[in-house]
Amino acid sequence: MDLPLAVEIILKAVVVLAAFLTLPLAIGQTEHKVMAHMQGRLGPMEAGPHGIAQLVADGIKFVQKEDVTPASADRWVFKLAPAVALIPYLVALAAIPWSAAWVAADVPASLLLVLAVTSVGVFGTLMAGWGSGNKYSLVGGMRAGAQLVSYELPMVLAAASVAMAAGSLSLTGIAQAWSWWWLIWQLPGALVFLVAAVAELQRVPFDSPLADSEVVFGPYTEYTGLRFAFFLLAEYAGIVVMSLLFTVLFLGGWSGPWSDTLGPLWTLLKAALVAILILWLRIAWPRVREDQLQRLAWLVLLPLALVQLALTGVGVVVWG
Amino acid sequence: MNEDKPGALQALRGLGKGLATTAKTLARPAHTRQYPHVEPDLPERSHGVIALLEENCTSCMLCARECPDWCIYIDSHKETLEPTTEGGRARQHNVLDRFDIDFSLCMYCGICIEVCPFDALFWAPDFAYAEGDIRNLLHEKPKLGTWMERVPDATLPEGYARPGAETPAQDADGPVGVTEPSVGEAGSSAEGTDAGDTSSREVEE
Amino acid sequence: MTSRDVLFAAVGLITAAAAVLAVTNRRVLHAGLWLVVSLGGLAGCYLVLGAELVALVQLLVYVGAVVVLVLFALMLTRSGGGEVDTSPAHRWLAAGVGAGMTVLLGGALVAAYGWDTREVAGPGNEHIGEEIFGTWVWPFELLSLLLLAALVTAVAVATTGHSRDRAA
Ligand code: SF4
Ligand code: SF4
Repeated sequence: MDLPLAVEIILKAVVVLAAFLTLPLAIGQTEHKVMAHMQGRLGPMEAGPHGIAQLVADGIKFVQKEDVTPASADRWVFKLAPAVALIPYLVALAAIPWSAAWVAADVPASLLLVLAVTSVGVFGTLMAGWGSGNKYSLVGGMRAGAQLVSYELPMVLAAASVAMAAGSLSLTGIAQAWSWWWLIWQLPGALVFLVAAVAELQRVPFDSPLADSEVVFGPYTEYTGLRFAFFLLAEYAGIVVMSLLFTVLFLGGWSGPWSDTLGPLWTLLKAALVAILILWLRIAWPRVREDQLQRLAWLVLLPLALVQLALTGVGVVVWG
Repeated sequence: MNEDKPGALQALRGLGKGLATTAKTLARPAHTRQYPHVEPDLPERSHGVIALLEENCTSCMLCARECPDWCIYIDSHKETLEPTTEGGRARQHNVLDRFDIDFSLCMYCGICIEVCPFDALFWAPDFAYAEGDIRNLLHEKPKLGTWMERVPDATLPEGYARPGAETPAQDADGPVGVTEPSVGEAGSSAEGTDAGDTSSREVEE
Repeated sequence: MTSRDVLFAAVGLITAAAAVLAVTNRRVLHAGLWLVVSLGGLAGCYLVLGAELVALVQLLVYVGAVVVLVLFALMLTRSGGGEVDTSPAHRWLAAGVGAGMTVLLGGALVAAYGWDTREVAGPGNEHIGEEIFGTWVWPFELLSLLLLAALVTAVAVATTGHSRDRAA
């Protein structure tokens, strides 16, 4: 395909934006349905056949709501927070390859890029926690800050292990170097990455920043209408990004039968399974207490990630 | 670490159990009934609404006075029946003018039904009588009567025949075979005479 | 002027402006947030200059971790919201030091390279990797050992404090 550069860039941007707006909705709808059936319910049934348009209806509802800024809020910090939370995931989504050819922004060190921009997303939560002028938000924001810094390290180490094994910092390169026995070789790293990703997304069992029974809704307590919807969108976009990243790093991305033509479908399928796993955890497990959460990060995940790194090092030296 | 804390293995087993349970539930059909589309099959004696069998009511006011939140409104007047036999005595009986239940106040305690000595009030299973305006929840005699249709047979007074049915459920010689305002009952309404002519409860007070 | 020059100037201006705002802002938390913009802008500068590895590490380490810690500390001590008023003498001194440093660094750069433009031809990622894990591998390993020691010590400090609490 030979397109003028500008056209190609615009086209890619539109596609990424479309994926960014639809995939999180798909995840959200799946969560509604899977959670409902796992709890013996049916979930939304009225909006469209089997409630397929429930999230669209929710979106319309959010648009109609009043956009309230609390009097004691730090105005601009409060207002900008949803955008800061949302945009990094958009950038990350653009850099994750769906197949060797299907990648919107093919940068050399794309793994580093994705990890770096997702770590910027923390600021959305921190700003929301600070800017709301609400003690629950503040406590939630602090919990989020502590949690994200702690889980960033094992996550980066686990990702580094794969990068080391592949000898590449580019996601495309990593997925191409992948072969099935990495499933065993990189298993500890994969577990660490998955746990850290769930923590990074602040989802159950690591949702103590948002714990509704303790801090109302943490940093998002004061948000209404569209801004609140943006935070929700950021959460589900985060699930999309993390599932795709996990797929590309640990499940070989688009490798599978007929990967030349079906590559992106394989990526999508694997990522969907990972996403459903992440949703499943929310339904099945209780919340981890704040101190247990830190203990897990520093005493379990970090050593495990270091062991994985050593294992990878030995593997690379022996087989490489 | 405390002794009573679950070990790592136990914790992992617990987590696995959580996943297994939710997965098992996922595989089973859901319990949800799609109510507006599918009618719920309620037990026949469900406490849905209070039905009035007007012919049995003697305006004795017991229900109105026992109702904890005073949401039953009754008005009646006395009528005199000329003696049917030569030299007989004229009889008086109460005629019900108004019998309203305000379902916006009613708390479905069922006391009115329990205290009614004449089997005039019944539980009916209908529940879908919501209104857009709270004032429309004040239901009057005719409306309360329509709910008699759904009152289960087992709770009906012996010998009562539904309007549509040809024969009464029991022989007509049952104690209260009521298809019209029963004069024979007036004797037993002696205790209700204190209800007086205009038995609205404002007067009672 | 190439488009890269324009881009660099724009990113540089944003960085500099954010940096000025970070040091002049009276509310400490806002200053911290401007610091985020400034450090992010710096990453942008690196990116424009073709050093994407440094740029991303800058983003990951400084923006993603260091400033988060700073903000966390501000929120923990609740000192972020109030206005901070420094004495005029303090401010002038700080401005003087800042200006002095700028002149010194700028002068050194100009003295070293002159005013004419230069091609940026930094080493690629592979080269950096080779250098770190080849020539400089021992200092690198030493550094990681240091970090590991710090980590273990931190855990030790945290857990011993814990057991003392429980004993009490
Ligand atoms: S059910 Fe209770 S509250 Fe309702 S009308 Fe009867 S006595 Fe009153
Ligand atoms: S207690 Fe029964 S008979 Fe007496 S007024 Fe009420 S419904 Fe009528």
